[in-house]
Amino acid sequence: MISGSPIQNIPVSARDAPASIYVAPSLAAALDALNEYGPAGAPLAGGTWIMRSPIRHEPLRSHYVAIGRIAELTAVRIGSDAIEIGAAVTHAALAAALAGLPEFAGLAAAAGGSANSAIRAMATIGGNLAASEFAAADCVPALLCLDADVEISGRDGRDRIGLADFLAVRSALAPGRLVTRIIVPRAERKTAHARLPLRRSGDYPVAIVSLSLSVDAANRVQAARIAVGSVEPSARRWPRLEAALLGRPLDAAAAARTAAELTDEFVGRDSVDAPGWYRVSVLPGLVRRAAIAALGS
Amino acid sequence: MGFSLTVNGDRLSSAADPATPLVDILREEMHLTGAKPVCREGFCGACMVLVDGEPTPSCLLPAALADGREIHTVEGLAPLGMLNRIQAALEASDAVQCGMCFPGMVVSLTHLLTTRPDATRDDIRAALTGNICRCTGYERIVEATLLALATA
Repeated sequence: MISGSPIQNIPVSARDAPASIYVAPSLAAALDALNEYGPAGAPLAGGTWIMRSPIRHEPLRSHYVAIGRIAELTAVRIGSDAIEIGAAVTHAALAAALAGLPEFAGLAAAAGGSANSAIRAMATIGGNLAASEFAAADCVPALLCLDADVEISGRDGRDRIGLADFLAVRSALAPGRLVTRIIVPRAERKTAHARLPLRRSGDYPVAIVSLSLSVDAANRVQAARIAVGSVEPSARRWPRLEAALLGRPLDAAAAARTAAELTDEFVGRDSVDAPGWYRVSVLPGLVRRAAIAALGS
Repeated sequence: MGFSLTVNGDRLSSAADPATPLVDILREEMHLTGAKPVCREGFCGACMVLVDGEPTPSCLLPAALADGREIHTVEGLAPLGMLNRIQAALEASDAVQCGMCFPGMVVSLTHLLTTRPDATRDDIRAALTGNICRCTGYERIVEATLLALATA
């Protein structure tokens, strides 16, 4: 039995019924509803991906569970060891919460520079991670290089998995499961996020490079995590470049030259906004820009 | 069961599918045609409205989730037959475009003027990143906004 604010409650078995949207008042209620709806239901937060389903020629689900008013999903907790980001935190709210934390400059840039200001006020971090068909999500590479974990909740409890593992299974989450938090460990590091849209802003990026670097007193790279987004169907780390930078002084031009030698492992995706070869070809330039930004952070 | 909306102070009860984009309810049920459903992706800004005071692409908001929130369209930004401060400045600066993108621009700029009285030229450009004009009229729009800010 679902309590709360049913806007239109239609039996799950009613095929061809119009969509219903249930505004969940609590996480427990949301999980109950998602469990009850099963494959016919899905969570709805910012709606910026789901509401564009008709453009992608994808049918809407019969039932949505709106999670944007659940307090624990809309909070950012900044602890001494980690930050915890509720899945329904908007990009705008995340960018604001991270302001003044240099170690998260890359994530703040990703959240605060995606799409346009109106979209950033709607789109959520959980949606950004869970939309498996959205290759150009800014926060995914930014979180990959921060070693983030994803918490997935169901009525039977909560699981926590690494973001890379989550990306591999996100399109096959069992009905009733919901991304509830993103947990990011804190560390002393330099981070940056470089994106190349076709317009200066307000556009999808052709390619994204996010990086997180630890350097010693002589500015030599002691640890490196570099992630690439929008080039392939899903964002991923660039381990060969990470290894190549280790032990060397952090130098933007040199990093770009090294990146240019290592782009052969990427197979760019073709789409109407950019061909795959172009997405790959801009990576060294983005590495240079990200390194310059990191040096300043 | 339907849902209710409050738009420009007027109340509407709708029996539409709750996932119907707000822009469609505004146009088809309330006959408020200022918001335009152009890209339906939240990128062009032609359907921009204020929801609880925040610029929101009404093509991406399920109408049912606007229930209980204050919605203002371009028609509700000034009393009938009058212009608000940004509208007057846009007219005085000849920064008037066609009616496709412009209502959304007025909505975004009205929000900017009410929330950022110290806005700079860069702030104005940033506020308009969600509004696309194909008539290349941005420069005069920015100048008009600076005029409106200066005359506050």
